[in-house]
Amino acid sequence: MPLGMNKHGSRSTTSLPPDPTDIVRSKACSRRVKLNVGGLAHEVLWRTLDRLPRTRLGKLRDCNTHDSLMEICDDYNLEENEYFFDRHPGAFTSILNFYRTGKLHMMEEMCALSFSQELDYWGVDEIYLESCCQARYHQKKEQMNEELKREAETLREREGEEFDNTCCAEKRKKLWDLLEKPNSSVAAKILAIISIMFIVLSTIALSLNTLPELQGVDEFGQTTDNPQLAHVEAVCIAWFTMEYLLRFLSSPKKWKFFKGPLNAIDLLAILPYYVTIFLTESNKSVLQFQNVRRVVQIFRIMRILRILKLARHSTGLQSLGFTLRRSYNELGLLILFLAMGIMIFSSLVFFAEKDEDDTKFKSIPASFWWATITMTTVGYGDIYPKTLLGKIVGGLCCIAGVLVIALPIPIIVNNFSEFYKEQKRQEKAIKRREALERAKRNGSIVSMNMKDAFARSIELMDIVVEKNGESIAKKDKVQDNHLSPSKWKWTKRTLSETSSSKSFETKEHGSPEKARSSSSPQHLNVQQLEDMYNKMAKTQSQPNLNTKDSTQPGKQKEELEMETLPGPMVPLLTTRTDGVVDMRSMSSIDSFISCAAEFPDSGRFSHSPLTTLPCKGGINVIQEQSRPEGSGARYVEMNPSSEGSHRSAFFIDSPKSSIKASNPLKLRSLKVNFMEEDTSTLVPASNVLRIYPDSLKSWGAAAAATDSSLLSDRSLMSPEPSIYTTASARTPPKSPESQAAIAFNFHDAGIHKYIDADTDDEGQLMYDSSPPGNVSPKYNVTNSGYLKQKDHVYRTEKNHLEAAALPTSPNLIGQNCIYSMEGITGRTQGNQETVRLENHISPEVHVLPGSGGHANTHDQSI
Amino acid sequence: IKMAGNFRFPDVDTDGSEKSEEMEIVVNVGGVRQVFYGDNLNQYPETRLAELINCLSGGYDSIFSLCDDYDPGKREFYFDRDPDAFKCIIDVYYFGEIHMKKGICPICFKNEMEFWKVDLKFLDDCCKTHLSEKKEELEEIARRVQLILDDLGVDASESRWKRCQKCIWKFLEKPESSYPARVIAVLSFLFILISSVVMCVGTIPDLQVVDAEGNRMEHPTLDSIETACIGWFTVEYMLRLIASPNKLHFALSFMNIVDVLAILPFYVSLTLTHLGAKLMELSNVQQAVQALRIMRIARIFKLARHSSGLQTLTYALKRSFKELGLLLMYLAVGIFVFSALGYTMEQSHPETLFKSIPQSFWWAIITMTTVGYGDIYPKTTLGKLNAAISFLCGVIAIALPIHPIINNFVRYYNKQRVLETAAKHELELMELNSAEGKAVGSKSELEDISREGKEGPFYSSRLKVSHSDTFIHLLSEEKHYRTRLQSCK
Repeated sequence: MPLGMNKHGSRSTTSLPPDPTDIVRSKACSRRVKLNVGGLAHEVLWRTLDRLPRTRLGKLRDCNTHDSLMEICDDYNLEENEYFFDRHPGAFTSILNFYRTGKLHMMEEMCALSFSQELDYWGVDEIYLESCCQARYHQKKEQMNEELKREAETLREREGEEFDNTCCAEKRKKLWDLLEKPNSSVAAKILAIISIMFIVLSTIALSLNTLPELQGVDEFGQTTDNPQLAHVEAVCIAWFTMEYLLRFLSSPKKWKFFKGPLNAIDLLAILPYYVTIFLTESNKSVLQFQNVRRVVQIFRIMRILRILKLARHSTGLQSLGFTLRRSYNELGLLILFLAMGIMIFSSLVFFAEKDEDDTKFKSIPASFWWATITMTTVGYGDIYPKTLLGKIVGGLCCIAGVLVIALPIPIIVNNFSEFYKEQKRQEKAIKRREALERAKRNGSIVSMNMKDAFARSIELMDIVVEKNGESIAKKDKVQDNHLSPSKWKWTKRTLSETSSSKSFETKEHGSPEKARSSSSPQHLNVQQLEDMYNKMAKTQSQPNLNTKDSTQPGKQKEELEMETLPGPMVPLLTTRTDGVVDMRSMSSIDSFISCAAEFPDSGRFSHSPLTTLPCKGGINVIQEQSRPEGSGARYVEMNPSSEGSHRSAFFIDSPKSSIKASNPLKLRSLKVNFMEEDTSTLVPASNVLRIYPDSLKSWGAAAAATDSSLLSDRSLMSPEPSIYTTASARTPPKSPESQAAIAFNFHDAGIHKYIDADTDDEGQLMYDSSPPGNVSPKYNVTNSGYLKQKDHVYRTEKNHLEAAALPTSPNLIGQNCIYSMEGITGRTQGNQETVRLENHISPEVHVLPGSGGHANTHDQSI
Repeated sequence: IKMAGNFRFPDVDTDGSEKSEEMEIVVNVGGVRQVFYGDNLNQYPETRLAELINCLSGGYDSIFSLCDDYDPGKREFYFDRDPDAFKCIIDVYYFGEIHMKKGICPICFKNEMEFWKVDLKFLDDCCKTHLSEKKEELEEIARRVQLILDDLGVDASESRWKRCQKCIWKFLEKPESSYPARVIAVLSFLFILISSVVMCVGTIPDLQVVDAEGNRMEHPTLDSIETACIGWFTVEYMLRLIASPNKLHFALSFMNIVDVLAILPFYVSLTLTHLGAKLMELSNVQQAVQALRIMRIARIFKLARHSSGLQTLTYALKRSFKELGLLLMYLAVGIFVFSALGYTMEQSHPETLFKSIPQSFWWAIITMTTVGYGDIYPKTTLGKLNAAISFLCGVIAIALPIHPIINNFVRYYNKQRVLETAAKHELELMELNSAEGKAVGSKSELEDISREGKEGPFYSSRLKVSHSDTFIHLLSEEKHYRTRLQSCK
């Protein structure tokens, strides 16, 4: 993962959307802007972008609010003046050059279709492509469109074979499949082979019929067919007729069937026989007349057309026919060349040879034959020039013939090979599509296209807006948005199709863990928190909180029992910020600094739980203070996506657990997002705190989205919430601040995971695949290149996973708790590395006696 | 803000001018940073980067005339250009030559080189061909567009005669322009076919009549048809000549020479038969008329006017002149060698058909081209062996040089089709422009240029200029998001 992404992440850690004035200021402070497209950084003057104000980049400058910016780009970083677009970087280079030079060129190896999609995304019209690239672009695009159209047509044809319910539709369909689709069943295959044999047989009979030894002589002295061969012929024709009639009867669309070229050939193969019979029977008396005989002969010749029936059974023949149809231009060219060559050379040779005695070049039409035979280099030798001039002309004619015939043939060959390849590809595509459809029918894949991905950000906004919407619907929506077709296919299948309805319900009703965790300890805790909150609320900012209350009950009712937790939590947070004011007045920065200074001294803070706890409290308060500086909407965007990855990660380990763990998670985080929005509106009251110096800002990153992660953590597994509750239960008598502190420690770790999980899913997957005990080496390796913050994220992720895998182990729970706390201390110290390593090597050492014990007891109680 | 920043560091330039040799400058091209050393850049003092060093002493005005932005703190020059092309272009300072990165459009790359003031001669030959190919293609497109534009443009200011002339020209030369013009083209095509058929049929002895002096003459009906055809051709040619804007150019173009050759024999023989009897002997006149008859074949070439395929063929043959020569040379060598061998080997046979070496040339040609009439064939064993070898060699000798010719043909044929689409889209763009009312000026300007007789590259560049400038303008005026993409789905 590039370093730049991390910087982006930092924006979201400050939980609020930036002020429009901030955006304007950041834009005004530099003439340039950094555009990060798919990881490739570009730097460009604002002035350049202004040249095309109606395009996506042109609009970027006019967007001064967070929402409008997010509509245009996927992410941005005001400090760096950097905007991120999640698009193909290669195409963007050429598009940016369009702004710079006014000439739109296209990368040569770029696919035309993908380029046109990029053009659409950036709002640049394809018509502005320079002519040097335009030709290539349009040709490719037309070709692609044609192919797609053809594919769609064949597909439609297949789908179009719907059998109406007129009469015995099912039987007709079976018959149709039997006759038309040799690949559909063994019987159909055998039928096709029999049909081929009949064709071959009848053709052989037709040829043998002309052998004089086998012919008989009728009463008029005319040769007639051999009686045995006539029988063979009759049988063959009977078979063909039956086949044709059955096909016709079973065909879903009679007229279309009649028009089809292959069926027309079938008809032509049958008809002559019947016409001959009709003519001979009706005109027995006049058969001696030459005219009737001639007609009969002609129809007899037409029987040879049956050889074309083989085309039905051979794709090679079909593609030959198609090639000839498609390259009739080139064929015409070939014939034109030949005709001109013949014309010229025959007239030349005529003038050269006409004075010769007993010459065979009597006229120009007579020498046409010679010219044709010479140009095609057949050379029978029945006519050949004799004069010197004639021989020279003949020599030239040979060479010209070789040239002229050779020239257009490669084009035709090219057409043929292209078509043949296409045919092969299409067959494969159809097979693939069938497999896909089967899978879809089985419910493994949900249709998904690019457009959904485009609209992702907008839809997410919608989700935020419709707070009270159906939770399930919302969930589905989010899933759709975040699963890209290739990567998430499998996770998605299980989650969306099989589990979303089924397991989700089990989660709501059946899952014992859930019910337990939600019912007993947490509820108590909720009560306590609510009490506290009420206490705090009395002192400050009542109107706001009241509005909060009014919205929450409705939500709570809608959601599951355990989801009531988010509601009270949010007010708690806001009250905490209020409490901070008090706290600051007492201890302020000095106390904070002292706290930070204490960590190195105490070394492992786990040794002295008593001292660390207050410290943490202070830290958390400060974190909370810095929170307003961030953008809240960021969570809205990030959480669902992180869930996508999260879920996938879990899924790989064990499908069942993932279903259980992920579904509530998702609900929770969604909910949390809504809350977050609300709280952010409350925040201005604490804006005063922003005066606080840089040290506070540094905490901003850590303090991100604390509430949402808290909730999700808790919901993830029952033990974790239990830890939290115990901790809070332990602390209440002390002060609200300290209680909040624990809550925060817990999560700010979790939060990071949420923020970055979508980018880090690879890392996450790695963790998932390795058993909890073995994680540390790999973990260290991956972390070494990353920032501190990122490390923290990984650790917490791991913790989560461990907790998920072994939910009942008290050790792990304790560890989890420690990790999250220690993450904070590590950051203040700046040498997180060592601490982390130690943690990994011996997690048990760090277990807080108090919390660990509590967790244990709690588990036992569960 | 920027200027204030500049004034805060006024001592940049003095520092820079003192030791420009070891000085290093930082260049940021579209987000890509690159550090250069002064002596390295000064190898090519005319380039933009080298000028950058010198301009440091010239104050901020000169700096900003060269680059788009300057950061005095980091001493970093910013250019709003394509970084990819830049990476290729700076090779000139290190290796003295430039290779185009694969994937960059050559025209685009050329523009970048012009911006950096790096001479095109530094572009290596391997990439130059690519560029020149593209350039040719562009010129061809421009020419096509120009032609179509010429047809469209009706200038009201011209005199009535001129307008009339233009009208006729369009009528005869551009079958696509209108329905009657199309009818005329088809009619002309039919006349060519008829006259060719008549010429052929006229030689059939059964259809000929014997005149008073015992000479065979063409059938009178065929003769009258011939006359009618020639009349049509003549009228057509005269009209074209009158309507053509450039008479000399018209008279010298290949297709029109063919036209003249198709008409002329008829008139020459007419005058000869009527007047020639007085000037020379009758037999001579008749011989001359016979000779002129052969020239009638030229009318078949008139078909080329109506077939783009034939034009392609002539173009391909013209382009692969070398390969054709190669083919003929191979064949000639083969013919000489094998006819001589065949002659000597067949000497032993008493009834040999190989009477002399020149006579066996014919046999060699017929064998090597695999025609094999069978009028001359070897009879001895050695001769037959020789024949087999000559046949093999002939196949190879023909097959080898033919391949590049075919290649040329296919490439040109495909290019033709590509160009057609390109010209179509270019026109579409023009239409868009003219619909906006912006491009009217540039279009008429363009026509003026073409009337001055300037050749392709010039007005193609003008076309480019007007093209890009107008559309940038257009884009900023009003942008419509087209979702043609949907059709692909």
